[in-house]
Amino acid sequence: MSKTAQISERTRRALLLAPALIFLAVFFVMPLVDNSARSFIGEDGSFTLARYTAFLTDSFYLGVILETVVLSAAVTVISVVIAYPVAYVLVRKAGRFSGLIIFLLIAPLLTSIIMRTFGWQVLFARRGLINQWLVTDLGLLDTPLRWLNTPGLAIAALVHVLVPFAVLSIASVLQGVDRRLEEGALVLGASRFRTFFEVTLPLTLDGIGTGAILVFMIANGSFVTLVLLGGGFQTLPLLIYQQFNTTRDFALASTMSTILLVIALACLWLQLRLVRRQGA
Amino acid sequence: MTLNRRKFLGTGAAAAGLIGLNGMPLRAQQNTLNVTAYGGVWEQAIRDCFVAPFEAKTGATATVSLGGPAQWLAQVEANPENPPLDVLIMTPDLAVIAAEGDLMDDFTVEKLPNLANIPQEFTDACLGKGTYFDYGVGGITYNKQVVSDAPKSFAAFVDRVASGEFVASVPSIQYGVTPVFFIWALNNALGGTVDNVDPFFEAMAKMKDNLVFWAGPNDFFNHLASGEADLGIYFDGRTWNHVDQGIDWIDFINPEEGGAMTAVAIQKPKNASDLAWDYLNEVLAPENQSKFAEILNYGVTNTEVVYSEKLASRVTPLSEANLPPYADIARVRNEWVDRWNREIGM
Repeated sequence: MSKTAQISERTRRALLLAPALIFLAVFFVMPLVDNSARSFIGEDGSFTLARYTAFLTDSFYLGVILETVVLSAAVTVISVVIAYPVAYVLVRKAGRFSGLIIFLLIAPLLTSIIMRTFGWQVLFARRGLINQWLVTDLGLLDTPLRWLNTPGLAIAALVHVLVPFAVLSIASVLQGVDRRLEEGALVLGASRFRTFFEVTLPLTLDGIGTGAILVFMIANGSFVTLVLLGGGFQTLPLLIYQQFNTTRDFALASTMSTILLVIALACLWLQLRLVRRQGA
Repeated sequence: MTLNRRKFLGTGAAAAGLIGLNGMPLRAQQNTLNVTAYGGVWEQAIRDCFVAPFEAKTGATATVSLGGPAQWLAQVEANPENPPLDVLIMTPDLAVIAAEGDLMDDFTVEKLPNLANIPQEFTDACLGKGTYFDYGVGGITYNKQVVSDAPKSFAAFVDRVASGEFVASVPSIQYGVTPVFFIWALNNALGGTVDNVDPFFEAMAKMKDNLVFWAGPNDFFNHLASGEADLGIYFDGRTWNHVDQGIDWIDFINPEEGGAMTAVAIQKPKNASDLAWDYLNEVLAPENQSKFAEILNYGVTNTEVVYSEKLASRVTPLSEANLPPYADIARVRNEWVDRWNREIGM
């Protein structure tokens, strides 16, 4: 191939990539850099790390960071545990009903997250449907339970939103597992239990990893569900919103969002390492 | 055609340039004004009561941008030389911040003849760079089917919620005007001052087991409708809007200590179109404000306005509401929010 032809080919590839790269540069990288830069500029215009020092040495804010990570991790673990059996049934057992299961999984995503969250309020309010069953219809309780604004319900609502992402990630990998490997293990005397944990599960770690990363990232930045259902959680996205909406401290909001981004990237790196090591 | 690197880079630079240009706020057409409104019934009221008469009198066009004051102010701050908005609807504390930042034009009777009928204190509260045109009062809204004898004062509200008699829905700190219409109002009623909000936080500590928090007005209504809460802190006008929509179980009390007057300010950014003065004059006109009040069930500020019988019984008179010291609150607001975060949570 001549040099001119090589340049032409490289140019053509670059041209094909250009729209996506320009889009990402203008609407993702530039705002991100601008936002982070704001956190490093002092009121006199000089470079400063004062906001990070103040934030990271304050036990309240450290608690908020910890709470953000723990909440995201809890939602991720619960979502994956629920998602795996669903994905297994979807791929291995559902047969002609697999389309229906996929539809049922995706259907909730077609509804606004605000409407779904209000639905939780209606169901679990003090005089909502669940308490009405427990107190009035079944007579199991004397007084209604307080579900709303409890950590459990907030986590349940987040899991409800995020499980489909984990199911679809796991199912796509499970679909590609060579069944002959499992049959081989069974023929060689392994129990179904052992075959699952020593053959099937390791072969689907990529799907679990992808699903876990997706769920963790979305949970890490989740906002609407926690605003509406409370749960007593104090997370970084809620504090960031507050800086824009109530206190107008944009520099502090930039500091928090940069820290949130670093946490998300660090967790992503850790999870990728973990999955690769397990899969190796 | 063969593209070489030079051509590609040139094309890329041109594309980036175009995108960059696109980011520059382009001045609206000479006879077009960009005004602001909250969503829902607010937007329709703004269109019917102010935009329509403005367009009829001037022949100009007004486009309505939906959103909220924090967002609008940030847009003006980002480009004060060529603001993308010509008229801002603002919360009183943000109006003070915008005025102190020298981002807004002065309001004078020469520019706005109808300003003569707006109480001077409302223009003073915006440091002369804006005025209030509409107000509501934050008080106690309750479900009549559950609460037969509602608390008549903030003090009684605190005692009875703390005792477990009621579950109350109160605004969360995520709601922009919570520092004014909830923290200041309750603190003021309980004997606190702007520089001493201990009474408020002590009251919240007493009530904490029987509180739920609303993040937005619809959220509050859901709490009452679903039975999660029996009563709460809410606005008079929004309560009456629910009544007009057929919700017959909801009622409102202006507490004996007086609820906080939660006003809506209007301002004109510096360098915005001069047509904004014509629009603002329509916003302050008594006939337009009267119509606006009938739609929204909120009080208006032009002293020439005469309310209908129905509205007169609903609108809290200015004499029975407390005008919060917005400028002082703006000074300490972030400390209050930080204390709320640490002691109450989100």
